[in-house]
Amino acid sequence: MPETAQYILWTAFYILIFPGALFTSVVGLFLAGVDRKVIAHMQRRIGPPIRQPMYDFFKLLGKETIIPHAANKFVFLAAPVIGFVSLAIIMLFIPIFGFTAVSGSADLIVILYLITIGGVALIVGGSASGSPYAGIGVSREMVTMMSYELPFVLVLLAVARKVGGSTLVFSMEQISQWQVENGHMLFQWSMIPAAIAFLLIIPAEVGMQPFDVAEAETEICEGPLIEYSGAPLAVFKLNTAMKMIIMTGLFTSLFLGQFRTGYYWADALLFVAICTVLTILCMTTVHAVTARLKIEHLFKFYWTIVTGLALSSLILVWLGL
Amino acid sequence: MNIQNFPVLAVMLLFLSAFLVEIFGSKIAAIRNFITIVAVTVSAALIFALIPAVLIKGEVISYWMGNWEPVAGYAIGIGYEVDALSLFFALLVVCTFWLSAVYSISYMKDDHHLGHYYTLFLMLSGSVLGLVLTGDIFNMFVMIEIMTFASVALTAFRNGTEGALEGAFKYLVIGSIGSSLNLAGIALLYAECHTLNMAQLSAILSGGLSPTTVMAFALIVAGFGVKSYMVPFHTPAADSYAVAPTAASMVFSGMVNKAGVYGMIRMVYIVFRAMDASALQMLLVIFGTLTMFVGVTMALAQHEFKRLLAYHSISQIGYVIMAVGLGSTLGLTGGLFHAMNHTLFKGLLFLTAGAVLKQAGTTNLDALGGLSKRMPRTTLYFLAGAAAISGIPPFNGFASKWIIYQAAYTKAVESGNFLYVIVTVAGLIVSVMTLASFIKVTQAVFFGQLREEHAHVQEPPFLMRLPMFLMALLCSAAGLFYPLVNRYLLHPAVDATVNVTNYIDKMMGDGYAAAAGVTNIPVQEVQFSFWDPLLWLVLFVVVFVAAAVVIMAGKGSRGRVLEEGAVADPKYATFFSGEQELYSQVGGSDLFWGFKKNWKAYYRVMDKLHSGIVTDYTNMAVIAVGVIVIVMFIFLI
Repeated sequence: MPETAQYILWTAFYILIFPGALFTSVVGLFLAGVDRKVIAHMQRRIGPPIRQPMYDFFKLLGKETIIPHAANKFVFLAAPVIGFVSLAIIMLFIPIFGFTAVSGSADLIVILYLITIGGVALIVGGSASGSPYAGIGVSREMVTMMSYELPFVLVLLAVARKVGGSTLVFSMEQISQWQVENGHMLFQWSMIPAAIAFLLIIPAEVGMQPFDVAEAETEICEGPLIEYSGAPLAVFKLNTAMKMIIMTGLFTSLFLGQFRTGYYWADALLFVAICTVLTILCMTTVHAVTARLKIEHLFKFYWTIVTGLALSSLILVWLGL
Repeated sequence: MNIQNFPVLAVMLLFLSAFLVEIFGSKIAAIRNFITIVAVTVSAALIFALIPAVLIKGEVISYWMGNWEPVAGYAIGIGYEVDALSLFFALLVVCTFWLSAVYSISYMKDDHHLGHYYTLFLMLSGSVLGLVLTGDIFNMFVMIEIMTFASVALTAFRNGTEGALEGAFKYLVIGSIGSSLNLAGIALLYAECHTLNMAQLSAILSGGLSPTTVMAFALIVAGFGVKSYMVPFHTPAADSYAVAPTAASMVFSGMVNKAGVYGMIRMVYIVFRAMDASALQMLLVIFGTLTMFVGVTMALAQHEFKRLLAYHSISQIGYVIMAVGLGSTLGLTGGLFHAMNHTLFKGLLFLTAGAVLKQAGTTNLDALGGLSKRMPRTTLYFLAGAAAISGIPPFNGFASKWIIYQAAYTKAVESGNFLYVIVTVAGLIVSVMTLASFIKVTQAVFFGQLREEHAHVQEPPFLMRLPMFLMALLCSAAGLFYPLVNRYLLHPAVDATVNVTNYIDKMMGDGYAAAAGVTNIPVQEVQFSFWDPLLWLVLFVVVFVAAAVVIMAGKGSRGRVLEEGAVADPKYATFFSGEQELYSQVGGSDLFWGFKKNWKAYYRVMDKLHSGIVTDYTNMAVIAVGVIVIVMFIFLI
């Protein structure tokens, strides 16, 4: 069956190279480098080169992996890999302007749950390490997740309703197509609160200051990651970097999906450029000017202000505006 | 062998062996186990033998007790009637009691008076199986009674444990309210329609509802609401599941509350054929949403493993009732699928809780920790169950929740009613909270630091591991191959629920349904667009390669243990900021403080409502019954 073989090869290409694992990792590490460089400049430092996160990644791969005596070995090692695979798959569902690797009718919910796996991998891995610091980190990571999930769901439903009208649309590809015909989602005035809410969700999802309560280096020594070393740590660091491209990419697809250059490579470049701008806007800048929140304040912030923004968009859209 | 006799034989066999166990097996364990295992196996085989005829060919199996067939157009005798909906639930029931019986052999062997235990167990199994297979509404009530009293006695079986008698008493009181409501409803129906056969009732009631039948309908809905532990009837569930022997808790959660769900579906869709009424839809959806929300928030506050699982049972049943109440085929498919998945993953989770209780001696989340070192397989089974109930792909919970969200949001868009948007959001948020509370259990029981007194805990014996393994396997299989589940189980069941002409004609004679004006509408099979077996195949290869790369690159090493607790090289010890290593487990009640602090006001209210006083619970139940009756009276007449 040459067609099946071809199909498998293409799927493998999508998952492994573009837009899956390789593309997501490289761009994610690039964004992490940009973030470090820009924040250094904001603080009047020179900062590391943009390639630094990649160097760190390869350096960690070569280091010894220490599995603590108290850890459950299998879960401890498997957690980062599961997180990595699920994050690599998410990119398949996000259209890069004209290009979508896999399209189904209900991608939004699949994406929502796959992103959750990224967080769950961190939680379960940290929990499996047996450290009390990780225990505190796990608790905070889970509360963070509960905090941003509510506004996140509301934003996604608002977008689906806006695109669908009287029918139900959860498909990313149709959302992208709708924007080609009707202009960027961001420029629909009823969607602006939802877009702001989404921008506020991104740093919490990635675990950036001021929402990095779960990893809080200065306080609980990176929480869930405390006992990790070597290759699993490298994979976890990579997962964080991948989340940066995935979350900014999701924003780009949902709210700025009108761009079409006609060439896939040019689309991809433009996509990365927009993601870089978004990274600087909603992660680096916020990081540079804020201090870490407490967990209960974080929860309150997301369930009041951010949820309020997302909900007002949903209601406006529901009223047909 | 005539296939028409199989359902009644399956039920009779269980009841018969219930007595045989007491007579021959009260002294000798081997006889007792032999009778039980033979009975549940043969009974399960009889039900499985119905699959080709009912689920694949779409036939309806019927049996008249004593060959009392209808006289002059009225059904007089008790009829057993198995359509795809009945068989769907019957399959869940036989799977549950078979696995529970196997688990019981090892789990219960240190208890006394096991003859009584197996008698009650088989009575319970037989009654639930009878309930889902019968075609006679009064026979259904009889089965509900047997089920309730067997459950009450099983709850109190370990009457030495704290709370066992209390749990049983609450179950008895609230359960009796449910049974009485059902009985009152059935009596009204009989007075109005002069028949107890559900097929005939369906034909008669399809002509419209009179005030009397609406009253009967409201009472029966409330009655089955009690049996499925809908909020606010949920209170005895937590108390009884937590104290019953775990093998019985699994049966309660896997099939006893499914019996309530089955009754609800049978009544609203088939007997009363009223699911077109938007008021009834909203009633069920609101109660379902309340149930899932209250269940999960209460579960977050628990610090007892089995009690936490009990609240999750309530919460997941809320999903089912909500989905069923949407009144669409998509919702029904999602609801039935979730009911099936709940049986699988909740059964699995209860069994792991039982393993922890049996091996470590407690299920208090504040007194456990680090068991994954001593029980690695149980930990893996637990993680599979937790992932499934939290809806993490590719496990089965994800597939069914996915359909439910689709159904709820489609309903919102179609009806333009904002209520259904809230319901969809609630479903998604409840799913995250479910995840949170299972993270809590994972951290508190299986990970973290091992207590000294649990240093020598062992894996449970093989007969306890086998059911857990099978259920974990089924959880993953149902998630990976859900299009097959849909084609061979869900679609026939949904079709049988919506199109009842076969069901009526088989019992009452051809043409009876047409004469009563009941017609069939073909049901579209639900499409799963993101399913692609090859994609999954490639994915597995990728996961495998990725895992191999990490292991190759990592060359993970861990320290040798020299003696008790001391490790060869300090680099393998847990980091304590240079302080002395102490026992410092973070788990149980310590977790999610940031969440609970923000929800203080809500929990204060919940605390008041769950006072533990049975009078308060009864009041809540009575008020809810009043609400259901009034709402249905206003909107359905």
